Amino acid sequence: MPASPWWRIGWRNLGRNSRRTVLTATGLAVGYWSVVVITGMADGLVADMVRTATGILSGQVQAHAPEYLPDRTLYETIGGAEGTDVPALLHAVEAEPGVLGAAPRVYAGGLVSSGATTVGVLLLGVDPAREDSVSRLAAALVEGRLPTPGARELLIGRELARQLDVAPGGELVVVAPAADGSLGNDLFRVSGLYATGIAELDAGTAVGPLAAIQELLALAPGRVHEIAIRIGDPWAAPGMADSLTRRLSAAGAGPIAVRPWTTFRPELVDYANLSSGSMWIVVLIVFAMAVFGVANTLLMTTFERRREFALLLALGATPGGIVRAVLAEAVALGVISILLGVAITVPVLVWWHHDPIDLSRLFGDFTMAGALVRPVLRTDYPLSMCFYAAGALLLTALLAALYPAYRATRVPPADTLAGR
Amino acid sequence: MRALLACVLGALLAAPLAAQRTAREIVDHVDRMLRGSSSRGEITMEVVTAHWQRSMDLAIWSLGTEYALIRITAPSKDAGTATLKAGTEIWNYLPRVDRVIKLPSSLMGQAWMGSHFTNDDLVKESRIIEDYDIAIGYEGARDGVAVWEFVLTPKPDAAVIWGRIEEQVRREDMMPTWAKYYDERGELSRTITFSEFRRLGGRLVPAVMTVVPTDKPDERTVIRYRNLEFDIKLTPSFFSLRQLRSGAE
Repeated sequence: MPASPWWRIGWRNLGRNSRRTVLTATGLAVGYWSVVVITGMADGLVADMVRTATGILSGQVQAHAPEYLPDRTLYETIGGAEGTDVPALLHAVEAEPGVLGAAPRVYAGGLVSSGATTVGVLLLGVDPAREDSVSRLAAALVEGRLPTPGARELLIGRELARQLDVAPGGELVVVAPAADGSLGNDLFRVSGLYATGIAELDAGTAVGPLAAIQELLALAPGRVHEIAIRIGDPWAAPGMADSLTRRLSAAGAGPIAVRPWTTFRPELVDYANLSSGSMWIVVLIVFAMAVFGVANTLLMTTFERRREFALLLALGATPGGIVRAVLAEAVALGVISILLGVAITVPVLVWWHHDPIDLSRLFGDFTMAGALVRPVLRTDYPLSMCFYAAGALLLTALLAALYPAYRATRVPPADTLAGR
Repeated sequence: MRALLACVLGALLAAPLAAQRTAREIVDHVDRMLRGSSSRGEITMEVVTAHWQRSMDLAIWSLGTEYALIRITAPSKDAGTATLKAGTEIWNYLPRVDRVIKLPSSLMGQAWMGSHFTNDDLVKESRIIEDYDIAIGYEGARDGVAVWEFVLTPKPDAAVIWGRIEEQVRREDMMPTWAKYYDERGELSRTITFSEFRRLGGRLVPAVMTVVPTDKPDERTVIRYRNLEFDIKLTPSFFSLRQLRSGAE
């Protein structure tokens, strides 16, 4: 290695004052730690929000008839007016690796009335047994129980129940324009109440068993509007939607549109982008502060060694060599700092991933972008930020070394060696 | 040619000044024509949509602008379903579940029984001339028939769902021929065409009304008056929740 003398000089210089080297490296490592951990927390918060927002009802992936969105017309069921083999379709969806659950649904605009009060709502027909594997409606139950499959029972939001002045066990008239043009109307019993913290759900939605809602709407059992799908990693949703589209068209399910949450909840994508964008500001601030600290240290080490540099110059070393030695020292310092940084970062990431910091005692729960958020700081593993931060750290060390290296080449050999 | 042009121009310029009172009277006349002080009628309503087509027979009673009762008499699946308007309140009776429900005013703009009419159309809150300023948009011959074309603009504080209504009325017998309803952005929302002018209950009326929504030109609702009586003996007590529930007159 022809350049090795300069590298060796740089490396050895670090050992000259090992306490100072350790302190500087620790400073850089803590900078690395804070950037990576804060990013991990922010990623965790965003992923949690996406999971919460999509997990309450929508799922992370949805399958519809191609024309169903955005109008959500009653007639646009999967497979057209003939409907489809719903159990077979669900089976095909669940055969896809990574799918944790799939649930069929029908939607319709309708009225629920307690007699004196009538409210326009979104009627949602679900398979209560399957719904639990996709959404957290069951977890949002605050009173009563889930509707019994096939029974004319409704699960309604607590706010809607307050407006209608009904309690579990109470009776509601449900009216909805049916697919055959008639006015579907029937009596439903309130089985339970839920509270999600999301206004549209709590005040504007009534959930009933799939079969009962289909009967009200004059829809055959094979006619559903949506298959809602839950997957593990929300960021895998776009790829999952693509492979499900291929799988379902290969399975002969007819024309079907599979969309990830990034398509039907674009505001969540915007929020995630905003969050990761703001992380770069943190990176900038942390390492800008570090530049000056490291520059100060290197300036002192080069000043202390000015006689050495003078001797080297007097013996015929080129200024380029001196610069290389100082930069080599900086790179070596950077590498040590990265190793130290990774060593203190990884255990904390693992720890806070598995045992997240719970701030709910301080703040309580809150909603953000229509999603209920628990203030639990579960850190994710920000893999790309680990590398970006390492690069930024190395760049910081190099930047900080530029001026000291320049100063080292400007040492006047004769005067310095003479002690003048 | 020059004389004709002058004549038309003259009519256009003079009309807004001279005909304001008359315009109000004509529009009010057309508005009240199918209602009288009280009325009872039998109607067949045919609804055609992209997905289904059905026909319903209705019986309808009205008293002034305050009270109206509409009951479905056929087909048997829906027979007995009824809507009552009393003052500003609207109630629906659903025989299948034997329940009466009150509709909130926010649902007045919703389709009535799946048709292209809204709840508001069937149980109008007030007379048109109370809610709209009326101007003559055109006066003269259309296809050889002398007509007026009125432009109805909502008064600033009127609680109406339309941004503008245009209505054509024949001069010779004051029969409406069409009405165009524009939404608040000024876009045509639906067109009602009147036809089959006949004597019913001693009055000349358009016996058939056809509604076509602009965004779905293949769909329509056709209302056909089979018979109609005016100024019959009806009292406000007839328009009760008890009457709403009872299938018989």
